[in-house]
Amino acid sequence: MNDNNVLTVAGLRKKYKDKAAVNGVSFAFSTGEFVGLLGPNGAGKTTTIKMLTGLIRPSAGTIHYYGSDFRQQSQTSKALIGVVPQQNNLDRDLTAYENLYLHAILYGIPNGVRTQRIDELLDFSGLADYRNRQVKQFSGGTMRRLVILRALLHEPKILFLDEPTVGLDPQIRRVIWDFIVKINRVKNTTILLTTHYIEEAERLCKRVLVINDGSIITDGDPETLKDGIGRFVLEIHKDDSIEEEFFDTRDEALAALHNSTYTCKVRGVTLEDVFLRLTGRRINV
Amino acid sequence: MFNGIYAVLYRELSIYRKRAIKQILSSSLSPLLFLIAFGWGFGSGVTVGGLPYISFLIPGLITMNSLNQSFAISAEINISRFYFHTFDEYLIAPVSHAGIVVGEALFGVFRGLLAAVIIFIYALIFKVTLFFNPIFLIAIVLHTFIFSLLAVTTSMIVKDHSGQALVNNFVITPMIFLCGTFYPIDKLPYAFKLLVYVFPLTYSTKVIRAALTGGEVNILYVGLMAFYCIMFFLTSLWALRSVEA
Repeated sequence: MNDNNVLTVAGLRKKYKDKAAVNGVSFAFSTGEFVGLLGPNGAGKTTTIKMLTGLIRPSAGTIHYYGSDFRQQSQTSKALIGVVPQQNNLDRDLTAYENLYLHAILYGIPNGVRTQRIDELLDFSGLADYRNRQVKQFSGGTMRRLVILRALLHEPKILFLDEPTVGLDPQIRRVIWDFIVKINRVKNTTILLTTHYIEEAERLCKRVLVINDGSIITDGDPETLKDGIGRFVLEIHKDDSIEEEFFDTRDEALAALHNSTYTCKVRGVTLEDVFLRLTGRRINV
Repeated sequence: MFNGIYAVLYRELSIYRKRAIKQILSSSLSPLLFLIAFGWGFGSGVTVGGLPYISFLIPGLITMNSLNQSFAISAEINISRFYFHTFDEYLIAPVSHAGIVVGEALFGVFRGLLAAVIIFIYALIFKVTLFFNPIFLIAIVLHTFIFSLLAVTTSMIVKDHSGQALVNNFVITPMIFLCGTFYPIDKLPYAFKLLVYVFPLTYSTKVIRAALTGGEVNILYVGLMAFYCIMFFLTSLWALRSVEA
């Protein structure tokens, strides 16, 4: 095992009664990686995150943070992890500052630096104006930023973001994206982000693990994964379905078009096509 | 462990501060109604074991009101687990389960003690003489710990809000009506007496009433209260572990 890896996971499984939600996944991340876990709803993304962060116990498999076993060293490991859950689980009756202060106590940040650390982060994220306001007054996007900021307070080595932009409008989504990218670049924090949005995975992630039915079906950087099936798609709009053919160049795609009597469209390959190619179905139905 | 206790208390007390007046008012009303109905209305002129009924009733109301307030943390933990998911913050943090349990329980003790103070104020208003002594202090702390820890256990076991209501209706309410808060239990039929001696409230009511009215305190009962405390602390730890199944 490589101890330089922030996180090493082997054979991770979670079984509920007769169905495996996560069916033996393995991967390793090194420092500063920006990884996406891409898959449809119900593929096992959240279950995986919950096991990696200690919210649920795996049925089988091992999790190591910097080479030490998560189950045995759970408190030391938990101090290295930042978690942004799918729901904004802030205390709505507390102010932004109080929410962050609570987190600071939980993670053993020394009394003398708590307030200073909180104010630095509020500045870093542009939320300084919200410091003393009750969270229940915040918009969805502001809450989201505060949840992310809270996860950063103890300076984690790895940040888990579970569907960070679900339910946000496109403009706010961009703000959150920029913020996450900034965290990765400025703080060199390793990031694992789950998403079922193709665009999110393609724009942000340097590496994508594609998950389906509890298993990781492919792992690589988005460009290489797309190259693997060809760079261009010819969409043939038949009466009751859309057929897709893959080509390495636009010219080849256009050449194939000559024989067709249907409406056709040539476009660049996306990760959605990769998923479709591997599973026979689409991510977002 | 200390970080966990401190964090939980920081959260609970920060929220409590904002709701204090509402909560104190709502925990003041029902014991007052009991006092008026049973103390003045029904109980005037009645004596129980040589005590005027109202002097008998006041210690019972102290145990009832503090039990209600201590156990009320259960519903709140429930909301934070199932609706706002704030409880997950504790579970993913590098703090021990024991710290979380003790932090929540201490908050329950705090609320229970405040509820007892309210009844003391009523005792002053209704001119009931009480003997304030160390054994009472020990007993009320044990009493509020027992029901705070029972509350933590319950909130970890139930799966939703209706499960919580079930426990309130089938455990807490019967306990309050059967365990000697309003009348001496030796008048109960034998079968009920057996049941009543399983409930911890029976012992805390006996000890607290004896301490406050100048009667003789059975030390065995204090020991049993400590036993219930330890038992419910262990069930809390077990229940919290089972949340991560």
